[in-house]
Amino acid sequence: MEIGNCRGVVLNLADYRESDRLVTLFTLEHGRISGIARGARRSVKRFGGALELFALLNLQVKFRNALSELLEADIVTIHSGIRSDLNRIAHAAYASDLIATFSPEGLANQRLFRLLTAYLAHLDAGLATVSDRRFFEINLLNIIGYRPELDQCSRCGSLLGEGAERAGRIFGGEVVCRRCGISCREISAETLELLSRSLKTGRFGLLSFSSATLDEAGALLDNAIESHLEKPLRSLAFLRELGDNQIASLPS
Amino acid sequence: MLQFSASFGRLLLELKKLPGVGEKTALRLAFHLLKSPGNIEALANSLISVAKNVHLCSVCFGITEDDPCVICSGGRDDSVICVVEESQDMLAIERSHAFRGKYHVLQGALSPLSGITPSQLRIAELLERLRHSQTREVILATNFSVEGEATALYLAKILKDLGLKVTRLAHGIPLGSDIEYVDAATVQRAVEGRSEF
Repeated sequence: MEIGNCRGVVLNLADYRESDRLVTLFTLEHGRISGIARGARRSVKRFGGALELFALLNLQVKFRNALSELLEADIVTIHSGIRSDLNRIAHAAYASDLIATFSPEGLANQRLFRLLTAYLAHLDAGLATVSDRRFFEINLLNIIGYRPELDQCSRCGSLLGEGAERAGRIFGGEVVCRRCGISCREISAETLELLSRSLKTGRFGLLSFSSATLDEAGALLDNAIESHLEKPLRSLAFLRELGDNQIASLPS
Repeated sequence: MLQFSASFGRLLLELKKLPGVGEKTALRLAFHLLKSPGNIEALANSLISVAKNVHLCSVCFGITEDDPCVICSGGRDDSVICVVEESQDMLAIERSHAFRGKYHVLQGALSPLSGITPSQLRIAELLERLRHSQTREVILATNFSVEGEATALYLAKILKDLGLKVTRLAHGIPLGSDIEYVDAATVQRAVEGRSEF
């Protein structure tokens, strides 16, 4: 049993036995890990207010094969801005859920960690927008290797064209050429270009999708994500039930 | 143990279903009960009585034997309703003797990661209750976890639209504690929520 220090984001929390907490973390050094925080519910002496969803922590962990043990947690930030707005909470929960679902246990992925922490920091600083959510999704799919092809037809391999001619159809979670997806929904050159730029732009908030491009990007990305899920994400159902428009109007 | 007594085995199984009770604790409790038959009968009767008589109040959704409950039917202040997540939160506030209004128990909190949405809580019943009452102020006493904050934010928006005064429980440094030992998150919230002296 090795004791080590790491930096991680709290993805999920669950009560365990009488006074413990099960914590799912996404760490920079070890990827997704699950740990037990003994006495975390009964006493605040050891962990204080650190074990909260979306909190970025410096941790001391006793690593074990199945379930690690959290020994100490110091707060880097609890992202109090996120906690002050329901829309931001819903988006942060969705991002955490995606990371928990798609990241393998115990495998470090520094790019994915940087993407998550950058998104949480962006949500913490300002309002959540659907553009940022799509920016997060396409980058997440890219990092984990599930990104839909944006330049060529994923069926026949033909190029989708250049500039304004670059257009295709949405076939499930893939982009195909007009010939391979005759009856499928169109995806415009503008949407494909915005998605490509999302992969090259390293910062949240620089790109803004119009209503039409958001609609197309949403159709593609929602299908691409759902095609890799074993069961629907609860956080996505939450986001949908509240409705983007409804919760966007809540106080910040 | 099952091979010695089927009844004893069944008791162990039932005890192990309780939160925080494992194999050893269940065994200890079962042997303790065996040694005092009078206690067994009293315990069994009280369990049956709770199952038969205790239910949720149709007005506030707290636990009660009478409907409406003592708080809802008594002479409490009608103009203030304190909204809590669970019945045990209501009991905690009652123990403080600091509040003389009425309550509404949501029976949970919004949770994006557990998929608990507004329709699964007693929010519609709260709104219906407010439409037919003289309430002027609603105190949001949900927990200070992300789920509790999400619930409070959701309710605040709806209730303010109804023209009600909406307040939130104060939070910060516990009474009698030294600031140097308080965690950073709590100090941060205390500084943000400071009030004029």
